Amino acid sequence: MMTMTQMETTVHYDNGYDEYQYMNQEDEWDRDNLLDPAWEQQQRKTFTAWCNSHLRKAGTQIENIEEDFRNGLKLMLLLEVISGERLPKPDRGKMRFHKIANVNKALEYITSKGVKLVSIGAEEIVDGNVKMTLGMIWTIILRFAIQDINVEETSAKEGLLLWCQRKTAPYRNVNVQNFHVSWKDGLAFCALIHRHRPDLLDYSKLNKDDPLGNLNLAFDIAEKHLDIPKMLDAEDIINTPKPDERAIMTYMSCFYHAFAGAEQAETAANRICKVLGVNQENEKMMEEYERLASELLEWIRRTTPWLENRTPEKTMAEMQRKLEDFRDYRRQHKPPKVQEKCQLEINFNTLQTKLRISNRPAFMPSEGKMVSDIASAWQGLDQAEKGYEEWLLTEIRRLERLDHLAEKFRQKATNHENWASGKELILSQNDYETATLIEIKALLRKHEAFESDLAAHQDRVEQIAAIAQELNELDYHDVAAVNQRCQSICDLWDKLGTLTQKRREALERTDKLLETIDQLFIEFAKRLAPFNNWMEGAMEDLQDMFIVHTIEEVQSLIAAHEQFKATLPEADAERQALLGIHNEVQKISQSYGIKANIVNPYSTLTTEDLIEKWDKVKKLVPQRDGALQEEMARQHANERLRRHFAAQANLIGPWIQTRMEDIGRCSLEIGGTLEDQMTQLKQCEHVIVAYKLNVDKLEGDHQLIQESLVFDNKHTNYTMEHIRVGWELLLTTVARTINEIETQILTRDAKGISQQQMKEFRSSFNHFDRKKNGAMETDDFRACLISMGYDLGEVEFARIMILVDPNGTGKVSFQSFIDFMTRETADTDTAEQVVASFRILATDKPYILMEELRRELPPEQAEYCIMRMPPYAGSGAPPGALDYTAFSTALYGESDL
Amino acid sequence: MNIYSVNLSGPAPWGFRLQGGKDFSMPLTVSRLTPGGKAAQAGVGVGDWVVSISDTNAEDMTHVEAQNQIRAATDSLTLTLSK
Repeated sequence: MMTMTQMETTVHYDNGYDEYQYMNQEDEWDRDNLLDPAWEQQQRKTFTAWCNSHLRKAGTQIENIEEDFRNGLKLMLLLEVISGERLPKPDRGKMRFHKIANVNKALEYITSKGVKLVSIGAEEIVDGNVKMTLGMIWTIILRFAIQDINVEETSAKEGLLLWCQRKTAPYRNVNVQNFHVSWKDGLAFCALIHRHRPDLLDYSKLNKDDPLGNLNLAFDIAEKHLDIPKMLDAEDIINTPKPDERAIMTYMSCFYHAFAGAEQAETAANRICKVLGVNQENEKMMEEYERLASELLEWIRRTTPWLENRTPEKTMAEMQRKLEDFRDYRRQHKPPKVQEKCQLEINFNTLQTKLRISNRPAFMPSEGKMVSDIASAWQGLDQAEKGYEEWLLTEIRRLERLDHLAEKFRQKATNHENWASGKELILSQNDYETATLIEIKALLRKHEAFESDLAAHQDRVEQIAAIAQELNELDYHDVAAVNQRCQSICDLWDKLGTLTQKRREALERTDKLLETIDQLFIEFAKRLAPFNNWMEGAMEDLQDMFIVHTIEEVQSLIAAHEQFKATLPEADAERQALLGIHNEVQKISQSYGIKANIVNPYSTLTTEDLIEKWDKVKKLVPQRDGALQEEMARQHANERLRRHFAAQANLIGPWIQTRMEDIGRCSLEIGGTLEDQMTQLKQCEHVIVAYKLNVDKLEGDHQLIQESLVFDNKHTNYTMEHIRVGWELLLTTVARTINEIETQILTRDAKGISQQQMKEFRSSFNHFDRKKNGAMETDDFRACLISMGYDLGEVEFARIMILVDPNGTGKVSFQSFIDFMTRETADTDTAEQVVASFRILATDKPYILMEELRRELPPEQAEYCIMRMPPYAGSGAPPGALDYTAFSTALYGESDL
Repeated sequence: MNIYSVNLSGPAPWGFRLQGGKDFSMPLTVSRLTPGGKAAQAGVGVGDWVVSISDTNAEDMTHVEAQNQIRAATDSLTLTLSK
């Protein structure tokens, strides 16, 4: 706002005098005579245009500046339009004083606006004083169009100039220094226009040397587009060396107002915008706050129930997921919200501060979005949160415990079910129906064991039930399944209990029955064994092969048999009893449905055996009777045979004995010749031979006896063997004795022993034959030799013994005796005789030749000799010569070497 | 039992009679001595058993084998006898 002190106006009409100053009004009137007619012209045009530019708003115009203001009405109107204020009501009279009054009103108004009007009177104006009028208009222009210009602390004329300079500063070919000549080339005008409205002209096409064009262009554009009527005349400006300052200033002030107004409007708009901007900012902040607050509250509203939700999950996994979600919430979702809240508070505080600073009323958030609301909502959230976390952990623990329990339950239940599986089946078995006693006992043992096992499991079942109970109390999610399983376990348990009991009963019952049967079996076996033995014994006895030899024996057997028969009834009774036992067993097992194979383990014998044997025994009894009778008959027959035999043997035996005696006597006899003896013996022999028939007959009897297997005969002391032996002995004795006699005869003849000698030999021999059995013992012989004068050493005697008893029988026969007795005298002859015989054949040679042997001896003997004879070792012998001497001596076991 | 050995220097006759032999079931014995003969001079006794002839065991010899064994000795005859 301009103060009155700043109102100074100066009009310089100097050429090139650049100093601008607004002079006082007084100064102005002093230049009355300084007013150039050109300027006057210019001013007139310009001021008229200027006034019209304002008056057209009131819907009127002036044509003539000195005339149209004379009545003061348009003047007053002009002032009203310019100032926008109401002047006092003009007088509507046409009288001069009315006009003067009106002009005065106008002038008063001007004065009231702080303009010192000097030497401008209303009368001059009413009179139409051009100068005065122009001056007045200039005053008005100055006051209302220029005075209020304020550019960078510079006001009025200087301000306007400064403004022009500033605006044209960018245009290098424009230099505004004053309000007259600087404007002559028109470029300033164009620049000014272009500066504000580049769209209106193309400055680059303007030419300094075309001031006319430039000016007209500028004036045209201003008029057309800026609503600034033409106030200057282009030719006037060009033609005037120094254009009218005031006109230009007036015209430029219009420009200023047009642009600066716009600028001011712009600035004002900016300020408004700024303020509005601040407002808007604030509003935005408020909105933002509201929005954030809403969002936050919404979020809290959404979240709080989630945090307050205490619906338990079923599984720990789900709860843990919840915990995870909570953690996510804590770690990811909440922090930004915390930040938001913080931000909200900050925003709120900032907003409040800003509002306070910019003098605005404090921000009052809408209902429910107050800071306190937010704070309380947030608190609620926190609490819910805390409570939630605690609840989560508690729940998790609970679920953990539940899981643990459930697992425990499962494990125990499974273990129990495993144990129990199959037990029902086992207990329902009917294996006892076919079991033997031992098996039953075993089953009972097993069952006992099972019962204790069952008892041991009682505990566990109770445990399982307890756990199930706890699960129920703790509201386990799958408690239905648990209960079901628990129930089935308990049901099965009860069932097992019942089955166990039943089985025990069945087993015990069966056991008792089998025991009973067993006892029966034992008894059966106990009694059967001896009975069987008896039967076997009986069978054996009844079939006993008896060898009896006497009637008495048979009789005793028969007696025994009768005795035995007497025992049969008792035995039969025993048999009945045994069968009875067996039947009892059958009855029991049938009536009690024992399906086991009832076999008597104590006895290998069955009732069939029993029956069979009994039948056999029964059969055998009469058989035996028969046999015994037969035997009896046989014995009788045998007895007859015996007697018969005995009769015969008793005859024959003694007869043989007699004969033997005869022979013995005969041979021992000394009297009579050997020939006599021989004859006697021959006779005896004859008799004996004739008697053979009897012996044969006896043999026949004996055979019969033997065939009848009779081996004894008490009716005679003579056995067939006796007789036979005796007979043979007789035969051999007679033959031997005869032979002896013959030999004796031979010996006698050979050795030339006389009868007398023979008798002597005989007598000696008989004498020393102590035993009188025809042979001398060794001692006898020794005695004999001693008696004959042989003084024998043991060695010699031994030698002699070897000679007489070469076979070592210990007996010396009569023949040997004779041989010995006769040898001593003739022992060398025999070998020598043979040698002598060979010598003859060898024609006195000490050796013999093979052809000689072959010639003289039979072929066999010759070859024998050739083979056996050693080669002759003497000298002078041809090859093949044989030593017959050595051979001959060797024949006799004696060699001379 | 008295066993002794004699060594008779040859040639034969050795002056004793040999009796017996396995084939006669009698031990080989000296049954006779030629008086003043080599055997008698060597101290052989009648009835003595011949145990070995020329260091050959005579227990199982037949009469002929013994005979031959003795005849085989020409320069000297060694006998082991038993009284």
